[in-house]
Amino acid sequence: MSTDTATRLGDRLGSGVWYGYVALVALFLMTPLVSLVIASFYDGRFFSIVDYEFTFGWYEAALTSGSIRSALTNTLYISIPVTILSTIIGTAAAIAYTRYDFPYREQFKLFALLPIFFPLILLGLGMSMWSSQIDLGYGIVPSIIGELVWISPIVMFVVSITALGIDPNIEEAAKDLGADTVTLYRKVLLPLISDGVVSGAIFAFVLSWNNYYIVSYLSGPQSTITTWIHGRMTQGFTPVVPAVASLIFYVSILLVVGAAVLEYRAADDE
Amino acid sequence: MDSLRTRVDTVAEGDNPLGRLLTPPGILLVPMSVLLLCMFVGPMLAIVVFSFQTGNSIALNPLEWSIATYEEVIGGMVTGSGVYGDVLVNTVAVSITTTAFTLVVSYPAAYALAHKITRYKLVFLMILIIPLFTSVNIRVFGWALFLVQNGVLESIVNLFGVREYASLMYMRSTIILGTTYIYLPFMLFPIYLSMLSIEETTLEAAKDLGASRTTLFRRILLPLSKPGIIIGSLFVFVLSLGANVEAEILGGGSIFTMASNIQYSFGYSQNWPLGSTQAVALLLITVVAGIVILRTIDLQEIASRGE
Repeated sequence: MSTDTATRLGDRLGSGVWYGYVALVALFLMTPLVSLVIASFYDGRFFSIVDYEFTFGWYEAALTSGSIRSALTNTLYISIPVTILSTIIGTAAAIAYTRYDFPYREQFKLFALLPIFFPLILLGLGMSMWSSQIDLGYGIVPSIIGELVWISPIVMFVVSITALGIDPNIEEAAKDLGADTVTLYRKVLLPLISDGVVSGAIFAFVLSWNNYYIVSYLSGPQSTITTWIHGRMTQGFTPVVPAVASLIFYVSILLVVGAAVLEYRAADDE
Repeated sequence: MDSLRTRVDTVAEGDNPLGRLLTPPGILLVPMSVLLLCMFVGPMLAIVVFSFQTGNSIALNPLEWSIATYEEVIGGMVTGSGVYGDVLVNTVAVSITTTAFTLVVSYPAAYALAHKITRYKLVFLMILIIPLFTSVNIRVFGWALFLVQNGVLESIVNLFGVREYASLMYMRSTIILGTTYIYLPFMLFPIYLSMLSIEETTLEAAKDLGASRTTLFRRILLPLSKPGIIIGSLFVFVLSLGANVEAEILGGGSIFTMASNIQYSFGYSQNWPLGSTQAVALLLITVVAGIVILRTIDLQEIASRGE
């Protein structure tokens, strides 16, 4: 009896240590983001928590500034097409890879997923040289195509994982029951993988929204929100920068939490 | 509509190559293949081609080829003259240290997440995943705000009465802190996924049979989580080779790494061939590591493990 309580106490202590450790890692991962949010509300030039005064002023300044607005618009002009196109390209490739058999199937997967593992600086500078050679130039459109190369494979990866979890016999059954290709896609395949496609699309938007390396090489004279932040950051502390960076962060956090809740619900339904 | 459907299906049965391209899986493969051929293979070829050009050319000259930049870079690395010896040592040191640190920090956390944490698991996973979806710039800037003179850390330290605060910015170890931070999730999640594949019953059985903690770790956990360790380590090693913002902002140019040197060749000194030659080295390492990672990952297995 007493040994039993002792082990249970030991177990609880043990699991407390594990919880504590993971919480520490989580704290480490959150430190810069929390610092950013604290700084974004601080009223004054030199940072100090002791005489910290709360203000929304920098957010107002950020939202009314012309250069920030145009950077924000440029970012959206890039992110929205990237989201739509990468979702289509990535989903199509994922369906082909997971639901069909074709020659060089494994090689196709290897090739299509390879860009995920590339340091972005390598992709960015290669694209920048290539772009000038083929007269694609620099600006919004090259940035869109450039980001697609990195983001479409990520969508393919996410959708493939969902699609591989579906029983292949379902398609056989639908075909046996007389479904043609269009019906098969509309009524059977796409609804089944829709969760993966939605998460893929959300990830695509957030990754494009936050992309720095590729746009910094391809956007040319157009500044996006990340290149704007980078430009200001290297010039010392301007209090409006934390506010802008925080705004970007809030949007990302909302979308990622939304995607996670969607996934969680889907998993709960099963 | 019906006639269109029958047409689509008849084309599918046809054997002509164009028909095959217009029906699944052909038509599904085309967009990705075209995109990657035009904007992935092309740029990587451009890096290789430019590395064999001469001087400060930014336009391709098909008649003049040279290995002068290779002689400069490799020669510099071998003899240690110029910056290249230092760059090589710095880059490898940063990447290896980062890989080691992320592994040590992630391994227990991945184990705990897979086998010990039951309550608030989703919250923990969310907190660990959010940084991945925040711009590298923003996170590095956040660290700068935390560490800089008059920053968040100094304010906290001041609250405890410590008045002497030496700024932690612009040091070698600060760069390591930055890269460890940025690439931690790339180590954590592969190991976490491989830990998930270890059944709770296996661990219980081993314990019941009297396995000690060390035996449990050496004989069960370590071998079964090996794929995750390999994937995570390659991922972190390769990605940290390309780390530039961390060195630039947190290091303040105190050390030169390969990525910052490449950036410098392209930006400031406008020497594309020299930058390309250094990028070729990065490219080769990346391709090999990428293929090894993709061969090790089993998508089917990840799918079956999905919660």
